[in-house]
Amino acid sequence: MTASERRLHPASILFDTARYARLFLWPALLAFLGGGRRRGTDLGPFDFGDADVWLWVLVLPSVALSVARYLSFRVHYEPGELVIRSGILFRNERHLPYARIQNLDAVQNVFHRALGVVDVRIETGGGTEPEARMSVLPVAALGEMRARVFAGRAIPPEQGAELASEDFGIEHRDDAMERRDFSPGDAPEADRPTRPEAAPTPTGAYRPGTLPTPNGAHRPEADAVPLLHLPLRELLLHGFLENKGMVLVGAAYGALWESGALNRFYSWIFAGSVDARGLFREVLAFLAGRGTFPTGRLLVALGGVAGFLVLVRVISMAWAFVRLHDFRLTRRGPDLRITYGLFTRVAATIPIGRIQTLTVHQGWLHRRLGRASIRVETAGGQAGAAVRDREWVAPLVRVERVPAIVSAILPDVSAAPVAWQPVHPRAFRRAVRKALAAVGLVSLLALVALGPRALILGVPLALWAIVSTRQHVRHLGWSATDGTVAFRSGWLARRETLVRVNRIQAVSTHESPLDRRARMARLRVDTAGAGERSHRVDIPYLAADLARGVAERLSSLAAQTAFRW
Amino acid sequence: MTVPGPDRQLDPRFIPQQRLVGRLTALAFTGPSLVVLLIVLAAADDVPGWGRVALGVLWLLLVLALAWHAEHWPAKVYAHARYALDADGLVIQRGVYWRSVTHVPRSRVQHTDVSQGPLERRYGLGTLVVYTAGTDHARVSLPGLAHEVAGALRDDLRPGRHDDSV
Repeated sequence: MTASERRLHPASILFDTARYARLFLWPALLAFLGGGRRRGTDLGPFDFGDADVWLWVLVLPSVALSVARYLSFRVHYEPGELVIRSGILFRNERHLPYARIQNLDAVQNVFHRALGVVDVRIETGGGTEPEARMSVLPVAALGEMRARVFAGRAIPPEQGAELASEDFGIEHRDDAMERRDFSPGDAPEADRPTRPEAAPTPTGAYRPGTLPTPNGAHRPEADAVPLLHLPLRELLLHGFLENKGMVLVGAAYGALWESGALNRFYSWIFAGSVDARGLFREVLAFLAGRGTFPTGRLLVALGGVAGFLVLVRVISMAWAFVRLHDFRLTRRGPDLRITYGLFTRVAATIPIGRIQTLTVHQGWLHRRLGRASIRVETAGGQAGAAVRDREWVAPLVRVERVPAIVSAILPDVSAAPVAWQPVHPRAFRRAVRKALAAVGLVSLLALVALGPRALILGVPLALWAIVSTRQHVRHLGWSATDGTVAFRSGWLARRETLVRVNRIQAVSTHESPLDRRARMARLRVDTAGAGERSHRVDIPYLAADLARGVAERLSSLAAQTAFRW
Repeated sequence: MTVPGPDRQLDPRFIPQQRLVGRLTALAFTGPSLVVLLIVLAAADDVPGWGRVALGVLWLLLVLALAWHAEHWPAKVYAHARYALDADGLVIQRGVYWRSVTHVPRSRVQHTDVSQGPLERRYGLGTLVVYTAGTDHARVSLPGLAHEVAGALRDDLRPGRHDDSV
C-alpha cells in the first residue's frame, strides 16, 4: 500500500450487505415464513425449516460480494486525477481527472453518523449515475478527498488549504441526497457575484458552485435586451398552428369515458335521427346504385365534423393565450430569460453556455404564414436532476427575424445564412427502393388478407411513396463549417438543427451493407442532453469518403475547443 | 479522395480469447437447451416421429451454427477493427457488416476505465472505456487491447497531455 492509497472503512461490508439484503428482504421473509409454517417443529437455534437454506442462499452471496468489494476497493490520489481500483474477478481501474469532477457529494444517515463514516459520490457529468460511489469512507478521508480534489483543480493553494481546514459540511439526509451544481469557469457562474466566505454553507452542505472560480472575472450585469414578445395576435396564431387542442380534447374524452358520461352522450346522439353508421350505410347503398343520396344528413354530419375541428383549434388558441400569455424572451448578459403565462407566471433562465443544440421548426402552415419556431436543448451539469430539455425560446417568430434571434442566442455563430449542401445524387434511388419495398410488403400482406381488390390500394400507396421520398430526399441538407454543423430534414414539416463545434461530444460514421455497395455513409454528431425524440444531426446518404473526411475534421475542430457545462 | 482510417490493430490474442468466450456461450446454450429438448420429447407423446427428428435436427443445427460462429466470427471482428490515438483524440473503427468509425475528441473525455475480466486476464487483454458527456456515445469501449496498451492509451488520454485548450 503506497502512501496515497486509501481503502474503504470496514463498516462498508455492513452497509453493502444491508443494501443487498434490502433487495432480498421480501423474498427472504416470505421464504422464512413459508418454510416455518411448513415445518412447524423447532429443531434448534439455527434451524428454521427450509427457510434458513433460502435465507443463506440469499444472504451469503451478498456478504461475499460486500467483502470482496471491501477488499478490492482502493482509492489513489495521483497528480491530476483520482484513481479507483475495484474488483477481484472483473477488475476495473477508473481514472477521474480532478478537473472533470463536477460534484462531490457526501451523505450521512443515522447509522453512518453512529459509526463516523460517510457515503461519498463523485460525478463528472454526463451519465445519470454517479461516476464513483465510495460507500463508506471514514469522515476524515472525506476531508482529505476534498482537499486533494480542490488542490488538483488548480484552485490557488491557500484557498484549498482554507477549505480543507474548515469544518467539512456534511449533509444529514437519510434518503435521497441533493445534487449540487458545480460549474467552475462557466460563463454564467462567473458572472454571478462570487461569495468565497459562503463556501461551507450554514446547512453544512458542500456548495462548490459558490466557490470563487479560478478566472471568475466579475462582469457588470448587462442590460436586458428584448428579443421577442408575442402579442395577442401571434399568441392566437401560435395556438392555431400548434393545435394543442387535440390533446385537451383527447384528455377530456378520456375523462368522460372513465366517468361514464359518454354513454349517455352517445345514446343521445346516435339513438336519434343522426345515426352515423346508418348514414355511412346509406352513402354506400347510393354508390352501389340503390336508394337516394342522403344530402341533408350528410351535410349535417360534415358540418359537425368541421365544427369539431374549428372547436379544437379554438380551444388550442385559448390554451396558448392562457399558457403563453405575454411571452417575452430577453437576453440578460450570459442568460436568456423567458417569461410567460396568464395564471401561472413562469420565469425561466437558460444560461447560454448550457445550450447544446438549436432547432428551427417549420410546419406546412408555418411556411404559408412565414413563421417558424425555435427550440434549444440544454444540458445541465446536474446529472439525474430534472433538466428541462428542448426549451422553447421562440414559440412563433417571423421567418425574417430568425437569423437575428439565432445570432442573439448564439453570438459565436456566424450570422451568414447556412450554405446547405444536398446529400448524394443517388440518394433518391436508394431511398425510393426502400420505400417501394415497404409498400410491396404491405400490399402483399393486404393481398393475402383481402384478396386481389387490395391491389387497388397498392397503386396510390406506391405513388405516394415515390413522391414523398423524392421530396424528403430533396429537402435533406447539411452544412459543416469551422464553427458549426447543421442538418435539416423534413418535407411538409421541416426542421433545421444547428450544433456548435465546441458542443460536439463525439462524431461517428456508419455504413450498412447497402451503404457500402453504394459507397455512402451516415454521419452522426453526438451532443450532451439530446432527448429521445429530438431532431439530431444524423445525416444519411453522404458519399462515404466525404462523410469520413467531415467526421475527421469536426472531431479535430472539437478537440481544439474546450467543452464546458 | 480516400480518407485513411485508423491504422492500429487490436491485439491478436483477441481472437483466441473471443473464441473461448464464444465456446463458453455455446456450451452455456447447449447444455440447458439439450435438457429442455429431452424433456419436451419425453413429455410430448402426440408429436409424430418426423416431428421429433425435425426438433432434434433443428437443435443440432442451432448448436452447429453457434459453434461455427464461435470459431469464425472473432477473426472477422479482429480483421475489421482498427483504432488510433492521435493529437485530436481516439478513433475506433469496427463492425463486419455494419461498420462504424467513432471519433472521441480528447477534450471531451470525462473519465476512463481500464477493465479486465477473468478471460481477458488469461490472455493478457484489457478493455479501455472512455466516457463523454454525450448521449449515444456517453460510453465508448475498446475491447481487445493488450492490458499494458490499454493502460498506456488511458495515460495518453489524461487531460493536459496534448490539449492545452482546456
